[in-house]
Amino acid sequence: MFKIFNYLRNPIEIAAMSFIVLITLIALIGPLVAPHDPYEANFHNTFSAPSFEYIFGTDAAGRDVFSRVLFGAKLTLATTLFIIFIVSSIGIFIGIISALSGGIIDNLLMRFTDIWLGFPPLILALGFAASFGAGMKAAILALIFTWWPNYARLSRALIIETKDKEFILSAKAMGVSDLRIIFSHLIPNAFDVLFVQISLDVAAVILVISGLSFIGVGAQIPLAEWGAMIADGRSAMSKAWWVVFFPGLAILLTAISFNLIGDVLRRELDPNLSGNK
Amino acid sequence: MKKFIALIFIVSFSSIILAGTKGVLYIAENETPENLDPANATNSTVDQLLVGVYDTLVQFTAGETTVTPRIAKSWSVSNDGMKYTFNLRNDVLFHDGSSLTAEDVKFTLDRLVAAKGNTMNDLAFYKGAEVVDDYTISLLLESPFGPFISGLSRIYLINKDLVQSNLGDDNGRAWLAVNEAGSGPYKITKFKPTEEVVLEAFEPYWKGWSGNHVSKVVFVYISEPSTQLALLNSGDIHIAPDLTVDDKVGLRSKMGFKVDIGAAATPLYFQLNTQGKKIMQNPLFRKALVMSFDRGLHLKSVLQGFGNMPDGPLPSNWPGHKKGTELRFNLNSAKKIIKDNGWTGTRLLVRYLPAIEEEKRAVEQFQSNLAKIGITLDTEGMTWPTQAATVQKLETTSDINMIYNFPSFPDPHAILNTSFNGKLTGYNGGYNWSQYSNNKVDSLLNKAASSSDQKERANLYSQVQQLVGSDNVVITVSNPGSVVALSNKVEGYIYNVAHHQTFNYMDIGLK
Amino acid sequence: MPLAFIKNIFFYIGQRIILTIIALVVLSFITFSLSYIVPGDAALVAAGPNAGKVKIEQLRREMGLNLPFHEQYIIYFSKLSKGDLGKSWFTHQPILEDIKDLLPASTELVFFAMLFNILIAIPLGVLAATKRDTKTDLSIRILVMFGAGIPIFWLGLLLQHFLAGEAELFPIAGRLSFSNRNFESNSGFILIDSIVQGEWSVFVDSLWHIILPSFTLSVLFIAVITRTTRSTVMKALEEDFIILARSKGISEFRVIVKHALRNALVPTVTILGMQIGWMMGATVLVEEIFGRPGIGKYAVKAVTQSDIHAIVGVVLIVGVIFIISNLIVDIIHFFLNPRLRNS
Repeated sequence: MFKIFNYLRNPIEIAAMSFIVLITLIALIGPLVAPHDPYEANFHNTFSAPSFEYIFGTDAAGRDVFSRVLFGAKLTLATTLFIIFIVSSIGIFIGIISALSGGIIDNLLMRFTDIWLGFPPLILALGFAASFGAGMKAAILALIFTWWPNYARLSRALIIETKDKEFILSAKAMGVSDLRIIFSHLIPNAFDVLFVQISLDVAAVILVISGLSFIGVGAQIPLAEWGAMIADGRSAMSKAWWVVFFPGLAILLTAISFNLIGDVLRRELDPNLSGNK
Repeated sequence: MKKFIALIFIVSFSSIILAGTKGVLYIAENETPENLDPANATNSTVDQLLVGVYDTLVQFTAGETTVTPRIAKSWSVSNDGMKYTFNLRNDVLFHDGSSLTAEDVKFTLDRLVAAKGNTMNDLAFYKGAEVVDDYTISLLLESPFGPFISGLSRIYLINKDLVQSNLGDDNGRAWLAVNEAGSGPYKITKFKPTEEVVLEAFEPYWKGWSGNHVSKVVFVYISEPSTQLALLNSGDIHIAPDLTVDDKVGLRSKMGFKVDIGAAATPLYFQLNTQGKKIMQNPLFRKALVMSFDRGLHLKSVLQGFGNMPDGPLPSNWPGHKKGTELRFNLNSAKKIIKDNGWTGTRLLVRYLPAIEEEKRAVEQFQSNLAKIGITLDTEGMTWPTQAATVQKLETTSDINMIYNFPSFPDPHAILNTSFNGKLTGYNGGYNWSQYSNNKVDSLLNKAASSSDQKERANLYSQVQQLVGSDNVVITVSNPGSVVALSNKVEGYIYNVAHHQTFNYMDIGLK
Repeated sequence: MPLAFIKNIFFYIGQRIILTIIALVVLSFITFSLSYIVPGDAALVAAGPNAGKVKIEQLRREMGLNLPFHEQYIIYFSKLSKGDLGKSWFTHQPILEDIKDLLPASTELVFFAMLFNILIAIPLGVLAATKRDTKTDLSIRILVMFGAGIPIFWLGLLLQHFLAGEAELFPIAGRLSFSNRNFESNSGFILIDSIVQGEWSVFVDSLWHIILPSFTLSVLFIAVITRTTRSTVMKALEEDFIILARSKGISEFRVIVKHALRNALVPTVTILGMQIGWMMGATVLVEEIFGRPGIGKYAVKAVTQSDIHAIVGVVLIVGVIFIISNLIVDIIHFFLNPRLRNS
């Protein structure tokens, strides 16, 4: 995984990778280094402009925007990685079954997957929000429901490509159990390409999650989630631009960085897909 | 020749009548009306339209806190308080020209009962109506109810003949949803909620048109506060009720505009679950909670001063208000109580509606203050129906629930009974979300409800506030003002405490 | 037409149609389950304030809320097949009517976003591909980078604040100006109806109102298509037939447009088709910010009112549109792609 540093070719890519490292660090230790309690309201100090003490200013409840942005990093990354972990697991599972079964099962599963490919998560999230109540739960569920087809298709294609390769056939001939082949050979082999998809998806999921929080069906205030923060500061945008600006900037930079790194990975790990040298 | 003279006569006569009405009043509203059915008049978007389209037996004039006669010229109450007899005017015409008689009143009530109209919920103990003659009607109750007359302020009288022929199989709900059958000063000439709703003056209105009145009222539905502001500034609309607090502050000092702060009576509460988990059942713990909210700061910072400083669950200017029943903000005392009793580290849950800005900010302040005294407050944002569902069972009620009280009429009963009567707890289907059940309070409330002696009632309600205060049942967060931005051209607008979020357009004129 | 070809059509399309039907049934099951498990109480909501337990219980029985799961589902499904999506409890109108009224507004938005997409992304992609590795290419790629990473709602807020609020180049919100609010649009498509009725000022007005929101919506998708076009055109330019065309002396412009682009467009068009579904889903963000009516906004309002039937109705309709358009794209693909035809 740390090979990636060798792949970086220009300053922009280096910057992107550094930002990712930075944001990961923030996600991990942010809570410890934040200058203020992100949930401590102070109605004597609402909407104060960025200053030395409050680097990104304060919001409608007098909270420090900078600390909240730091906390938001942890929340956003943790949620995103959780979702991606689940959907990739489900997707890989289905992809394996489909690829190894072949025939009708393969056909049916893939057609079924195709139909759901790209179902708008925003709308489904609204449905879940109505049923379970708005909150991260609804957002996460909706994303899981709509995102797994990507991984199912991808892993199926990869498995099919790999399963007839020499080293697999010889392993089988040697009597290695199917299960071992799957876990020790097929999946790890596919992983490189899956990793590309994962990296790109991190950006996409972050955008969708913050969008959901913005319209009110994802994270709820006072949770320090970037999308929710933007929604909260929206009505005061003309007098307190910082409440909307900084969380948005955080989303932008994070998404761009993951996108860029995804591109780098694609370039290095999967040359036949990119055509982008 | 005769025809010509007659024509001139008619034209000048009608222009004399219409001399009282001129101009078109444009009112912005951010929420489209549900429909036009008077049975739903407890909903403010419906009430907003109907308040000048229909007549009632009695009504609260904007700015007043007691009812005055309308269709009912006078009335008398039987000694046992169970029969109200009304003498009606004989000069009231419906918009289709027919006369309003006692039959229409009876039909209105019968229909409301059959259609399970929400407006009947405020007429406790109503049993039935008896037509005595064309202009006399008796309303019967199962037991006496003090505020009965006040509850009639939303019983909009419908045209029996017209509605009966359109009753269908749903008690006329489908027809009345998009049609009106009223006798009020304005008739609805266009109902297109996605665009606008237009009302025009009904010339033969029994009250006449002396004074300055508008001949047309147009409600336009604009959901964006910034758009409402832009249109108010450009003069396209005259009344903008849904601006942001900052916009309203700015308009206060702007030439050509004024900001009206109606002394609203829609208190916002943190209702503390008195039958919840063990620690919540302890009045001393609740005492600490009550002392942990800074109402003054909320009024200043969140409401920007638009409202009154709360002093107990009842608005201060209401009859029967008793001073000082609810504890004031004192975080140090609260902290001491928590510490002395080893309650540090307690975890509580509050449910509220994040869609309402004021509730959000109140929760944030409360959460922050409680954190300072060692209590963790978890928050759960919900939608109204979901929150209402959670309080229907004791087991699912959270420790604290935020809720506004929207009294249908300015009577202490409307607030105190609704919020504190043991028969109306959440698990009994009511709005007493503190699940507060105190027999003494209940008997005081019931006695006050069946009495018609206002002094006695005020006394009883005083005692209720005292008991509720010492039991630390609620934290009254605010008495928010109903703030409306208007063009200076508007004269006659007064906030009506009995009809929240509506405008007395029938009394408004344009300069 | 050869028999094998016809057989192929039947198999392929028939298979697709059956699966589409299954998908629709599954969708209805999902949407029904959503409405079933909602914790809110529809009867409570309908009864109103101070109703009391008895009345609520009565309503609950009337609304059939006490029946077991499968019975309720059967009722739901039979209503669906008649086109009855139930009534919205806050508008009291049939939900299908509500959605039909609002769908054109969202569709107009998506249409214009797509227009922006095609008009901007494809030329940009071609430009980047032909000027590959130059400063132009680099700047386009940087733009794409930002476009792909920017949150739609944040962009919308910023554009609204600066271009509409401060600079007043565009209206802040709505579909039409206040003076045109009474325009009667028969089909719901204001842009079309205004032309049909000859109301040019209304047409211009609605165009002016739709530019900012549809552009906001399109940015993310423009980034994707630009990138796709760029890479597919680059690939196509490396193919043999291009070298052949060039050697024949055909002008560079024709080479690019007629030969490279045409081949490169197939995957691009596929993605464009899929984007329609994604855009429909994302309209809610833009409708919310720019105060435009639409099914997205309707769904959000329904969530805040816990009007489960309305939301479920939207999920269903969007799902149906999505599934059916996939089917159509598949069929078109089948006819376009020789490999599938002969498999």
